[in-house]
Amino acid sequence: MNFDDNVDEAAFRAKVRSWLDDNAPKKLLPYLEKASFATLDLGDYDANAEAKAWRKKKFDAGWACLAWPKEYGGQAVSPIERVIWGQEEGAYAALGGLFTIGEGMCGPTVMAYADEAQKTRYLPKLASGEEIWCQLFSEPGSGSDLAGLRTKAEPDGGDWLINGQKIWTSGAHYSDFGILITRTDANVAKHQGLTMFFLDMKSPGIDIRPIKQANGQSGFNEVYFNDVRIPDAQRLGAVGEGWKVALTTLMNERMSIGGSMPTGVPEMLELASTLQLETGPAIEDRALREKLADWHCRANGLKYTSARLTSALSRGDTPGPEASIGKLVAGPMMQEIAMAALDLQDLSGMMVDPAEAALSARLQAILLRSPATRVEGGTDEILRNIIAERVLGLPGDIRADKGLAFKDIPTGR
Amino acid sequence: MIARTVYDNEHEQFRESLRKFLQAEAVPFHDQWEKDGQIDRALWQRAGEQGFLCPTVPEALGGLGADFRYNAVVDEEMSGMGLSGIGFGLHSDITVPYLVNHGNDEQHQKYMPGCLSGDIITAIAMTEPGTGSDLQGIKTTAIADGDDYIINGSKTFITNGQLADLIIVVCKTDPSKGARGTSLILVESGTAGFAKGKNLEKLGLKAQDTSELFFDNVRVPKANLLGQEGMGFAYLMQELPQERLNIAIGAMASAESILNQTVTYVQERKAFGSPIATFQNTQFKLAEIDAQLTAMRVFVDCCLELHLRGDLDAVTAAKAKLLTTELQGKVIDECLQLHGGYGFMWEYPVAKAYADARVQRIYGGTSEIMKLIIGRNLLGS
Repeated sequence: MNFDDNVDEAAFRAKVRSWLDDNAPKKLLPYLEKASFATLDLGDYDANAEAKAWRKKKFDAGWACLAWPKEYGGQAVSPIERVIWGQEEGAYAALGGLFTIGEGMCGPTVMAYADEAQKTRYLPKLASGEEIWCQLFSEPGSGSDLAGLRTKAEPDGGDWLINGQKIWTSGAHYSDFGILITRTDANVAKHQGLTMFFLDMKSPGIDIRPIKQANGQSGFNEVYFNDVRIPDAQRLGAVGEGWKVALTTLMNERMSIGGSMPTGVPEMLELASTLQLETGPAIEDRALREKLADWHCRANGLKYTSARLTSALSRGDTPGPEASIGKLVAGPMMQEIAMAALDLQDLSGMMVDPAEAALSARLQAILLRSPATRVEGGTDEILRNIIAERVLGLPGDIRADKGLAFKDIPTGR
Repeated sequence: MIARTVYDNEHEQFRESLRKFLQAEAVPFHDQWEKDGQIDRALWQRAGEQGFLCPTVPEALGGLGADFRYNAVVDEEMSGMGLSGIGFGLHSDITVPYLVNHGNDEQHQKYMPGCLSGDIITAIAMTEPGTGSDLQGIKTTAIADGDDYIINGSKTFITNGQLADLIIVVCKTDPSKGARGTSLILVESGTAGFAKGKNLEKLGLKAQDTSELFFDNVRVPKANLLGQEGMGFAYLMQELPQERLNIAIGAMASAESILNQTVTYVQERKAFGSPIATFQNTQFKLAEIDAQLTAMRVFVDCCLELHLRGDLDAVTAAKAKLLTTELQGKVIDECLQLHGGYGFMWEYPVAKAYADARVQRIYGGTSEIMKLIIGRNLLGS
């Protein structure tokens, strides 16, 4: 790994920097720099409208969906150049949350399985941010056990009729389209009876209900399907091959992790540098200094693990299951840091109003959001299974439903 | 779980009737109270009618004259049922005991009936903006002026702050002295110059009203002095073991209740074709939690027994508060993880318990202060 830019990279960085300097929405910077983990509060500005405007501007100037081929709205730049863009975009990247799932997961799946006309119709508008996409995978009875999903798709003329329920769908309430995995055959083993589609989120029969979360936000939704009709032309991949298609999506999720996971370390360091304890400045507290050093080491481990991933990508390798390590380390660490940060603040740590709490309540937001990080996109437990089985080569976990037809698997909630 | 021996049949009967009362009068409304940021005052009066407020107040003062175990039952049931907005514990275990122990006949006659009936809700105003754990550093003053005191200053994080009718204000009657210049003075809501700030937006305890209080030349008669002038700090120290025991009891009940709910959940929730309870990881986590809670339960019940005999010392109470609240945080975090995504939904008790648990390691003295107390005792400094 060499972290210095070569000549081409330096030229690219200069180009990025100069464009950002001329075009970035600087009026939003004070809000973006204070943005709490998983929240976007732009004061009187409309967050979604500002996010879309910035996205469109980037798209028009050729800075959106950098990894994608040019014919679908991308720029086909190298992984290293993507990293440079990410480093330079900095705080403005917080405006990108609406588009992450579309760019990182739905788009690549559509690209791999849709026909040419569909790709030309949907991908550029996804890239430009004019249309938002969501991913309808998890269900009330199938989270970690995704292949146990039961939302049914039945053929009806040239269409499919969808009935069932999805949950934890990020952004369903503002999405225009979604990719949807369904069960089309319950008589075969659970992984074999699945089929993937994409659909218009405004289709009749869809009912979207935001979930009230432990952190007071509602980014996730429940999505109910009641006789929702999808044309067969919107099927992605063959009937019964939905699991294979889903793996394409999930593999892309792993690839898109390339950037670094938030850890809370910079926020904690800022807090420690500004907070006064009864005994003096927090940063001089020995017990805290020890912890800061420990977190700094772990954060750097994550940083360089992620850099190693980028190096692998730039060599054209596909990152393997070891990419699971990042979230497993960052999630619990974020929680630990937030807890320690609140300890430091005594009762003031209980304030969640950004106007009153230290560092605009960013660490309070991290405390309340971090449990979800340890669950979403693969729980800590599932990640440990992946590392045990696929990185360390340990014997597989016992799977009671192995080889059973889906309809014969005992069910619960 | 080892069978508990600290309670008698009478306590368990009291628990049963309290449970029925809370199921009918509190559980259905708690979600709304979270939205309101405070509970319905009428609940206080209904609880008063049924004898659930201040069980330990002596019969001579109109109370039941019961032992502290009845308070403990109330604390356990509130915490176990996740009714984190209801401030009975503070009232019965902390503030009213100050009135009982240090109030004079006149004060008893004036306030005790209301405290028992729920018509008078009490609060204690200790913490100030800028002083958290350091009570000796408080800046609110009460300066003698003829037959009155004039109070100036501000307080924050005051539990029951919005609803409180009677507030015990910790202030300096002699600002030239540290702890020995501290006194406790009663201030009634509505006194000229006394203002309640807005209901503070907190990380947890959403249904509990917590406020800033402002004192701008508030004039109260000297008859409102609780106990003796300059003795305030000493009174506060005397009550600390009971206050910390109250927190420890709540922490245990909450953790045990969440464990029970999680045990049920993992047996119902299926993944990969079998209940997640069949996975070794689930069993290991739950076994660890259960073992730790079993040991901690024995310790807390022992503290309760010591307290009934008047033998619970400040250091042991600090140990109980430290260990139980840290364990509560850990247990609820693990149990949330076992709930998967559902643990992050506000409608699941474990999500609320996660948010509510955080402050337990802070109020009533932070974990760090508890360690200092234990450490000083150990090292004799």
